[in-house]
Amino acid sequence: MTLLSVLLQVAVVVLAMHAVCLPAVVGVDGVRGSLGRFRANARSVAPTAVGLGVVLGVNKLVRDAGVELSWLVGANVTPTIHALEGRFVSQLQSVATPPVTTYFSFVYVFGYAFLLVFPIAIYALHDDDRPLRVALVAYSLNYLLGLVPYVLFVAYGPRNFMPELVESLLYTTWPQAQLLTGQVNANTNVFPSLHTSLAATVAFLAYRFRSAAPRWLPLAALLAASIAVSTMYLGIHWVTDVLAGIVLAAGSVELGLRLCDRSSREPSGSVTP
Amino acid sequence: MPDVTLPASRRRVLAALGGAATALTGGCLRRVRTLAGWQSSQQVRLRIKTLPADADPYALKVARAVAGWFDAAGVDAGVVPMAEQELLRQTLLRNEFDLFVMRLPPRHRDPDALYALLHSRYADAPGWRNPFGYADLDVDDLLDAQRRTDGADRADVLGELQRTIARTQPFTVLVVPDDVAAARTDRFGNWRSVDLASPLGYLSLARAGDDGETTLRLAVTDRRATSNLNPLSVEFRRDGILTGLMYDPLGYDVRGEVRPWLAEAWWFVRDDPPVARVTIREGVTWHDGESLTPADVAFTYDLLADTALGGDGGDDDVPVPSPRFGGRTSLVDEVTVVDDRTVSVRFADVHPAVAPRAFTVPILPEHVWGDRTDPAGIGGIDFGPVTEALVTNNIPPVGSGPLRFVRNTPRESLVLERFDDHFLGSESVEDGGLPGSVGPPAFERLSVQVVGTDSTAVELVADGEADVTATPVGARTVPRIGRDEALELLVDDSDQPYVLGYNVRRPHLNNPRVRRILASLIDGEHLAETTFQGYGRPAVGPLWGTRWYPAEFAWAEADASPVTPFLGSDGDVDVERARSAFREAGYRYDDDRLVGGNA
Repeated sequence: MTLLSVLLQVAVVVLAMHAVCLPAVVGVDGVRGSLGRFRANARSVAPTAVGLGVVLGVNKLVRDAGVELSWLVGANVTPTIHALEGRFVSQLQSVATPPVTTYFSFVYVFGYAFLLVFPIAIYALHDDDRPLRVALVAYSLNYLLGLVPYVLFVAYGPRNFMPELVESLLYTTWPQAQLLTGQVNANTNVFPSLHTSLAATVAFLAYRFRSAAPRWLPLAALLAASIAVSTMYLGIHWVTDVLAGIVLAAGSVELGLRLCDRSSREPSGSVTP
Repeated sequence: MPDVTLPASRRRVLAALGGAATALTGGCLRRVRTLAGWQSSQQVRLRIKTLPADADPYALKVARAVAGWFDAAGVDAGVVPMAEQELLRQTLLRNEFDLFVMRLPPRHRDPDALYALLHSRYADAPGWRNPFGYADLDVDDLLDAQRRTDGADRADVLGELQRTIARTQPFTVLVVPDDVAAARTDRFGNWRSVDLASPLGYLSLARAGDDGETTLRLAVTDRRATSNLNPLSVEFRRDGILTGLMYDPLGYDVRGEVRPWLAEAWWFVRDDPPVARVTIREGVTWHDGESLTPADVAFTYDLLADTALGGDGGDDDVPVPSPRFGGRTSLVDEVTVVDDRTVSVRFADVHPAVAPRAFTVPILPEHVWGDRTDPAGIGGIDFGPVTEALVTNNIPPVGSGPLRFVRNTPRESLVLERFDDHFLGSESVEDGGLPGSVGPPAFERLSVQVVGTDSTAVELVADGEADVTATPVGARTVPRIGRDEALELLVDDSDQPYVLGYNVRRPHLNNPRVRRILASLIDGEHLAETTFQGYGRPAVGPLWGTRWYPAEFAWAEADASPVTPFLGSDGDVDVERARSAFREAGYRYDDDRLVGGNA
């Protein structure tokens, strides 16, 4: 099974990255010392985590139906986006070399999976459950709010709009990856870039909670920026999608913080970053 | 210049308004009204609808190249990619398009296929029946005439027909592509000798050695068959191979000659108009065990002609013909049951040589489709009522063909299995004139897996997870296929050219002169060489490669279409020549912009 082997590769690489980065970011003693903390955190944020699970399930269902719905009610905005930004993506691709393509392909698939999972791990080990709670709520909000433009707009990425100028770099260099990405997304849902919005969400959270994991901030920022660039470099997203993704991320984090503050005002005193 | 004229005209308007304010004289108002009668000039704007690169390896690139050439001539041209189902819905059902770039459906090398494609009686009909809205009385006469003749007479009529079509350009043939596929040779061996563009090709496959249960696994980029298997559906069918393997026609077209299939034989008992007796093979059953009777055959032709079957008899009942197979059923007048194995087919006013084309439609079971004649509640077709038969997804399908439905997972996969009661298992079809290699499927199951793009499909075959790519892959995958020793590169010339369709109901495009200029802005030779990397060739009409194709339509040299020679060279438009062509047609240029000829 090609799809299974791709999934397995991603799982192995992401685990390996955790094994390297966890001690580096939290410290070996930190990891050992906070296992008890992890159990308490897991218990306290369990309802929020279940909420994220439900949102992901609903998201998958709605998105499958949403593709049909989009064609019925949505506006095909691909030419509009192209008129807005022109050939930016093809100019970005003009710097393409095999090592750069390998880097961005790696970041797009493996780096992205790592970036989403790793903060959950470090926040789960933190003394306070607030970062973990906010992160889970912000992820859910990304998926929920992202659905609205997905239904309202039909948009193809640059590789499906100007193939003579923009190469589909990821899928020509590593076609198997499409078996995985095809499971996650439809090619008409490029506005906004959910890759960018979730990556930016992680970066914004890393900044907000930098006191909880100071060494995570530079790594998160670097990875998030690479992912945003990779979506365009690989011909998958327009710069418009990326900018919209950043706006979506900022909104989700802000809203996530407020929701968590409201729900946990009375009990545990919050640690403001 | 406009920097000067614009403020000047604004000053004139202001002056006029000022004049109106100070003295509301009737003369001034009259002048304003007279001026308002003149349309302000606007740039000619054309949008080309086509498929995204994921769905078709060439369509979008071709459309972009065409838009680029139109742009060079001052047209505001743009490309709108959309999913295949949506594209067919907008262009073929709702006529919402200026231009489209698509491949013609299969079997357009049969000259009678032009009948449904261009006859004005279909100008308002949904489906691949005159989607252009084209109406030319001479063409109508020629289309009717070619049905009534044969031999040299028919060749003359078809020559005249093709010349008239080429002159008026309801659509422009861009490139006749080669269909490229990748196949694995470890399980099935004779890929090169079978025609994968026909169900018969899949029935000619032979195992390469190993025994035991075998599944033929197809990798496709077209996901529609996983959620709809209705042979009458316009939006969900591309080549009809999968439905063709599940539904038997009375006969198959083999190299221009219709050969008996579900029918054991047919013979003409009268010639003018032709009447044929058709005997159906003995003991044929449907996949659900019911037996296939002559009544099913008669029912099928009635249903295709009017899927409402006359409705409830009220006054407002209008026939709802099937948008697919419309051209073929128009050959038939009436089908009646003679005895328990024979039907009598009375044809319209056609020549007996043309008539058997009507035998190539799929035969449908009356006990399933008889309940689908009521108007459907929802549907994409706006004009006229729609019946359930046209919008049902028909899952599970009940056919009589060599393969039977097992299961489907929408958007992902489809599984069919061999139908062991099919007549192929007990009878040889060789003496009927079908290729000798056709026999019962060499596989127990056939599975279809949907992938995102052509290169992923090739990779699945390379990884041994599929046996063949069953939707065409692009020329860019050829090196990948060639490098891999386990893979065989299959290149077959196709009967489905890429065409640029004009919606002649729209302004500018209603003018054949404009369509001819647009056609001469297209460098077919250049497209074939660059976008198709040589896996295709330019042509004038869809009958390219047949004995009906006029000799003078051959391309003598590069860039020189025999009908609409390219206004430029090597893929670059000569702007001055393009402009003078448009000016001659009554158009003007405002700076670099082509401005409508109605001012």
